[in-house]
Amino acid sequence: MLNYTLRRLMAVIPTILILIVFCFFLMRLAPGGPFTSERPLPPAVMKNVLERYGLDEPLYVQLWTYLKNIILHFDFGPSFSQKDRTVNDLIAQGFPVTLTYGFFSALFVLALGVPLGVIAALRHNSFWDYVMTGLAIFSQIFPNFVLAPIMVLLFTLSWGLLPGGGWNGGQWPYVIMPAVALGTSYMASVARLTRGSLLETLSAGYIRTARAKGLPERTVLIRHALKPALLPVISYMGPVFVYMITGSVFIDIFFSTGGIGQNFIDAAYTRDYAVILGLAILYSVLTFALLLIVDLIYAWIDPKIRSGL
Amino acid sequence: MTLLSVQDLSIRFRTPDGYVHAVNNVSFDIEEGEKLAVVGESGSGKSQIALAILGLLANNAEASGRILYKGQNLLDLPRREMNKIRAKEISIIFQDPMSSLNPYMTVERQLNEILELHEGLRGRAARSRVLEVMEAVQIPDAKNRLKSYPHEFSGGMRQRIVIAMALLCRPKLILADEPTTALDVTVQAQIMHLLEDIQKEYGSSIMLITHDLGVVAGFCNETLVLYGGRVMERAGTAAIFAAPAHPYTRGLMRAVPNIHDPSATLQSIPGQPPNQTRPLVHCPFAGRCGDSLEACFDILPELSPAPHQRACIRAVEELT
Ligand SMILES: Nc1ncnc2c1ncn2[C@@H]1O[C@H](COP(=O)(O)OP(=O)(O)O)[C@@H](O)[C@H]1O
Ligand SMILES: [Mg+2]
Repeated sequence: MLNYTLRRLMAVIPTILILIVFCFFLMRLAPGGPFTSERPLPPAVMKNVLERYGLDEPLYVQLWTYLKNIILHFDFGPSFSQKDRTVNDLIAQGFPVTLTYGFFSALFVLALGVPLGVIAALRHNSFWDYVMTGLAIFSQIFPNFVLAPIMVLLFTLSWGLLPGGGWNGGQWPYVIMPAVALGTSYMASVARLTRGSLLETLSAGYIRTARAKGLPERTVLIRHALKPALLPVISYMGPVFVYMITGSVFIDIFFSTGGIGQNFIDAAYTRDYAVILGLAILYSVLTFALLLIVDLIYAWIDPKIRSGL
Repeated sequence: MTLLSVQDLSIRFRTPDGYVHAVNNVSFDIEEGEKLAVVGESGSGKSQIALAILGLLANNAEASGRILYKGQNLLDLPRREMNKIRAKEISIIFQDPMSSLNPYMTVERQLNEILELHEGLRGRAARSRVLEVMEAVQIPDAKNRLKSYPHEFSGGMRQRIVIAMALLCRPKLILADEPTTALDVTVQAQIMHLLEDIQKEYGSSIMLITHDLGVVAGFCNETLVLYGGRVMERAGTAAIFAAPAHPYTRGLMRAVPNIHDPSATLQSIPGQPPNQTRPLVHCPFAGRCGDSLEACFDILPELSPAPHQRACIRAVEELT
């Protein structure tokens, strides 16, 4: 298993390098640049600026410098649009925010979605199953950009229970609404996924065997059914978790949380190559890490996969 | 001594298209130490009878009648009480060893959770009992295979594990639901021998479900023939083989390859299995029976008294 993990990590490194190169050129290919504006800068000033950011060098030299700095110093370079700030600074400021509300959002998704799905499966075709399915459909047709304003309307404006935005160092009243607004539709999906997968598992032959052993239904469920039933949920949650902790552009803007979703938007408007590239790399590294974790959890649960590693 | 008494058992399933009547007023007893074969084509209700005994019927099933065991009706037993009987007093071997073991759990864990539950055995005591039984079912190198998972065993070995599971608590009755059907022929014979040895050693009663009369002949002392969820004939195995007294049993016999005369042609019974969507009003076999009279389509024959029970309005002498 350790061997497998190392092998996978080794394979990820070249993939990420290729990705960096690809993004690097893609960005340069797009028309316009960080310093093009309505009113052209005087040529002397322009030359100065380009020189300062190394943009006057040939592309391959720029790429080489960029890669060298990342590999040797873990330095993603200066921001092109925000003076005196580096990409590392910006990410260090925004990422903890999105990581926090993203993590709690994922927690909310699992802590509510899985039990709801389990209850619906156990009581399937009963009142509670229909209530659950109704709720799931209801929250799935409310995307976060509809849900968030409604929540602010209720919890902030009407009842004054929660702050309508801001971050305040991540105190919990400020985390709740971003986390819930971001997670609700995923929570509904997880509940439905859990329900379907558990129903299927419960009809398996080995569940009948477990019952024939005389085990109480609770033990049958927890010891025999839950692990295999959660496999699809785990593979679903991998990419969703990456999406959540890298922040939603909408959440960051609507709640003014100041996460990296905000950085992404700013960088896109100002063509801040360095920031966009840095975020893209962060995103891909996290994606690879989560996919690896999902695979490892699979291998931990399923001995057939483990023996194939 | 009667161990288990099935009385007037009927099982029907609720489906979107109405009821499916799978078992119709079946009665039979199993004596202590008896080896009873339940024979019939697939779909005749054999598995459902076994499942009903252990309270494992599907959710859409409705069972009526009585299944008496130690003075209690198993059909009314609450789950908590039923759990004390499952595996401990009555165990079951399912047909398909590929799906009846949990693929995510070691073989040892799947066995010792039974001992933990019913005997309170853990740790070393549990392991030694598990090993004892795994050796009894002739799993080679059992000691080193305790931590293996089901997929690391062949089909035959998995079925041995399932049998080991059924033996762990030395149950009074073992329900073996087509234990060899999913296995290839050489393995089938080995498993049947194994069951035979074990039955001798443990003295449990066995209800062997099969659609293969050939398997029955060497193994069971009593045979019950089921068709359309109804008992057609019940007698000692020797008596049934010597003088089958029901047209359906006779048809089944003709469909068994004859070892003494391999050139003899095999005849399958012509016609369709019975329609189970309506309650039975006449003999379910009448439509396929070569000996049927008009009356066979009006009367639902009752089972004649022991020792050789049969449900047919025609005299034995008149059958072809
Ligand atoms: N859950 C169910 N819903 C509807 N019909 C069922 C269900 N389970 C079994 N049956 C029907 O019951 C009949 C008897 O099945 P079974 O006892 O499994 O036959 P076999 O003799 O082959 O073991 C079959 O016709 C089958 O279609
Ligand atoms: Mg069957």
